[in-house]
Amino acid sequence: MWRRFRAMLRRARLDREFAEEVDFHLAMLEAEFRQRGMSAREARAAARREFGGVARIQEIHRERRGIAWLESCARDVRYALRGLRRSPGFTAAAVLPLALGIGANTAIFSLFHALLMRLLPVARPEELVNLYQTGGWIRGHSSYPLYQDIAARTDLFNGAVARTGVEKVRFRERPEARENFAMREFVSGNYFQVLGVRPALGRLFTADEDQVLGGHPLAVLSYDCWRNRYGGDPAELGATIVVDEKPLTVIGVAAPGFHGIQVERSTDVWEPVTMAEMPFQSPTTWWLQIVARARPEIPRKQLQAAVNVLMEQHLASNLPASFKAAFRKRVMEQRLEVRDAGIGVSMLREAFAKPLRVLMAAVGLVLLMACANVANLLLARGAARRKEIAMRFSLGASRARLVRQALTESFLLAAAGAALGTALGFWGTQAIVRFLPAQAGDPLSAGPDPAVLTFTLAISALSALLFGLVPALRSTAVDPAAGLRSESGGTAGISVLRRALVSAQVAFSVVLVAMAGLFAHSLFELRSVDLGFHDQNVVAFGLDFPRAWRGRDFRPAYKTLAERLRNVPGISSVSYGFPGPFLMGRASATLRVAGSERTAAGPANVATAEVAPGYFATIGTPLVMGREFDQHDTTGAPKVAVVNEAFVRAFLPGDRHPERHALSFKDGEPAWIVGVVRDVRQKGIQEAPEPAVYIPMGQQDLVRGGATMLLRTQLPVASLLPTLYREAAKVGTGWIRNLGTLRDHIDDSIFEQRLLAAIGGFFGVLALVLAAVGLYGVVAYSTAARTGEIGIRIALGAQRGGVVWLILRDALALVAAGLAIGLGGAIAAARAVGTLLFGINPLDPAAFITTALVLAAVGIGAALVPARRAAGLDPMRALRQE
Amino acid sequence: MSTEDSKPGILQGTLDLMVLRTLATMGPQHGFGLAKRIQQISDGALALNQGTLYPALLRLDQRRWVKSKWGASEAGRRARFYEITAAGRRAMERESEDWARTVALMDRFVRLAPEE
Repeated sequence: MWRRFRAMLRRARLDREFAEEVDFHLAMLEAEFRQRGMSAREARAAARREFGGVARIQEIHRERRGIAWLESCARDVRYALRGLRRSPGFTAAAVLPLALGIGANTAIFSLFHALLMRLLPVARPEELVNLYQTGGWIRGHSSYPLYQDIAARTDLFNGAVARTGVEKVRFRERPEARENFAMREFVSGNYFQVLGVRPALGRLFTADEDQVLGGHPLAVLSYDCWRNRYGGDPAELGATIVVDEKPLTVIGVAAPGFHGIQVERSTDVWEPVTMAEMPFQSPTTWWLQIVARARPEIPRKQLQAAVNVLMEQHLASNLPASFKAAFRKRVMEQRLEVRDAGIGVSMLREAFAKPLRVLMAAVGLVLLMACANVANLLLARGAARRKEIAMRFSLGASRARLVRQALTESFLLAAAGAALGTALGFWGTQAIVRFLPAQAGDPLSAGPDPAVLTFTLAISALSALLFGLVPALRSTAVDPAAGLRSESGGTAGISVLRRALVSAQVAFSVVLVAMAGLFAHSLFELRSVDLGFHDQNVVAFGLDFPRAWRGRDFRPAYKTLAERLRNVPGISSVSYGFPGPFLMGRASATLRVAGSERTAAGPANVATAEVAPGYFATIGTPLVMGREFDQHDTTGAPKVAVVNEAFVRAFLPGDRHPERHALSFKDGEPAWIVGVVRDVRQKGIQEAPEPAVYIPMGQQDLVRGGATMLLRTQLPVASLLPTLYREAAKVGTGWIRNLGTLRDHIDDSIFEQRLLAAIGGFFGVLALVLAAVGLYGVVAYSTAARTGEIGIRIALGAQRGGVVWLILRDALALVAAGLAIGLGGAIAAARAVGTLLFGINPLDPAAFITTALVLAAVGIGAALVPARRAAGLDPMRALRQE
Repeated sequence: MSTEDSKPGILQGTLDLMVLRTLATMGPQHGFGLAKRIQQISDGALALNQGTLYPALLRLDQRRWVKSKWGASEAGRRARFYEITAAGRRAMERESEDWARTVALMDRFVRLAPEE
């Protein structure tokens, strides 16, 4: 765009100048004719005649300017293409790493851009702020009363909206249609108005359409939802749809391209917030995200200060008096952080921003390495082409012309790299998105963005300059006479520049390999943690029940389903529990333990879980002592409990007979401890297990759903699906959620670390290959240049080993220089990524020593081939060649 | 007009050489001065639309055989002055030799013809 604009300006200027030149010429001619005595009119006519057709000359002039430029460009491109075709090895060696580098940057950048840079398609997105709750234990969400307090502050905000997360819910396109799923978001009535989103069809919610609880059965569809599910039918206005069993009237369709404000989720249907069945009056139910349009005239610092005061007042006047002092103190620690929301809100951003930044830096290094690689190749070829270049100089080519020609070749290489890299980048993006847990959403759901393509083109062009300019200048700095005279077409030895480039490559690869080592080691540590259950061959899933069942006891449904599944061939054991064993929610209760010093003064808090018979056998948690629950542990039987080892350590330290103790929850009758199990890391791999008490589900009064079904089976999940759906339908629920093996759940919980290790490993290996190729190139070249010298040495009786060492020493010096620089960089990088590592020191000696050894090995490996060739040299032939 | 038809036209490339030669002997010149000088030397024997000089000058400029800059003419008007470059001089020598060879060759043929 800019270039074309500049070219246009330039063309206009050249036209103007030429017109001036012609005017001057005509004026001079005219003056001459006047002197000869012609009249003014005659003189003007004569001048024009003498000059020839003015317009035609101008036309020719203009054309010629364009053609010459085009012609020389086309010539350069043809020449470069011919050269590249002639040496396919060179072309591949230059383009492939470049394509990988560009592709990697494209892939990471498209995520980086979507998650951290892309502005929402709303009016003046830069004014939007997210009031994000921190401190205390709530992350991000607010209560409805807090929202009302914020929305009232029109002195600070030009409107504030509240929204829930985007949730996958049951959906019918028509009341009689088959049920499927859609993404639903509850929003305050002023949502579209404040964001400045227009309707594509019909109208959007108004500010007073969130006043009555359950009183606004209205829906706004996203443009994509309307197009994909209703074929863009305008008759859809006023029709009834069914969302989560609620009939709603469609009043409008939002503008195309608007999918809500959460980056990783695309909303299909919006409902007024008062349609959510939530405790609106409760100041302690934190379930809404608040996004406000900050008044542009208020500086951010001042806004934050005002919000701090607002929050303190809100907490002070809304806290229930029943809160105990300690709890009250924690609640009062909560803060509202004013964050930029122009790029949308995101749950994924919290966890993923840092790994993404690390990856962006890493792929940047990869591209730099690829550039160094190409520069090195170009320098080598430039040296080989000295004669040709000297020849062309003496034929009258200017240096600028030759530089341009060399740069054309660089741009062609970069263009090939960009084309291939874009394809690789697309594929890479897909691969990365597959690493994200299903429930994390997809940050690229908004579709491809032109900004990413612009970025790819920009880094490609920049790379071309980076790797092309110096070799171009270098290879054309030839004294024609000297160049032509030199017989071999090259100079002895190898330029300092090439050595520096190879050392730089080694240094880059040290950083990348060390990072890969750290991430791999960290992942290994994560994987080695004893989770307290078997992750393989255990399938977990949750169930959704019809709305009509609310308040009912779900236990019969779970029990019947478990019995039915037990009879399915291939399933060896079935159980269920609430919450499930790994990141499936958390429950807690306060209790006293008879005979424990810890609860002598007052009750203590522990994690709890209600589990069905066979729970521990199903997930493979070993019993340390006693028994687990069976079908006899029902309401009529004596109350029992199972505890974990952490519980014993905390409450009954040193007691060899925990089964002789009873524990009692608030006002409950005592339950006897009948078993002790291994600690289960219910809160995630990186969280230490806490004291936990398991209670039999059969002794609960009411089970309200939310339990996780667990199956022990060798069958793959996909082949289980039809059976599960069939059996679930028989107990009255057709909806299965979060289906996957426990291994899947674990993988999802550490996807950042897995991603870092996978990408780090891939590029670590690539970096090693590039460094090896670079080293090999330089060593082989300098060995070839020293053929004569080596021949003489051998002729004078040098040992083969000595010759090999001579060459190896050279390579090792390059590696050592690279290592010295690279290790410094790697240590700095390791410090920066320290928080992403688990269980290891950022300066993990294992990773660093391995890196150094691997690079030394690569250096020796790369140098060994030319070294042995040199040692096998026949001195007579070598000397004759000289 | 009819009298001008008998004047020799311009062979492709010869105008370039004329321009280079003229610039080499006279130093920097604007287009008008060049045209005048070329016509003077050809002594009216050349049918030259003076405007055709400019595409030739552009061609030479693109080959970096001449360079140009803006200056003031004798009459004090702004005019573009052309000057021969080192590459231009080299090209001129080469083309002059070529030309001399061509002329000598043609000369021989032309002389040969009536004797046959």
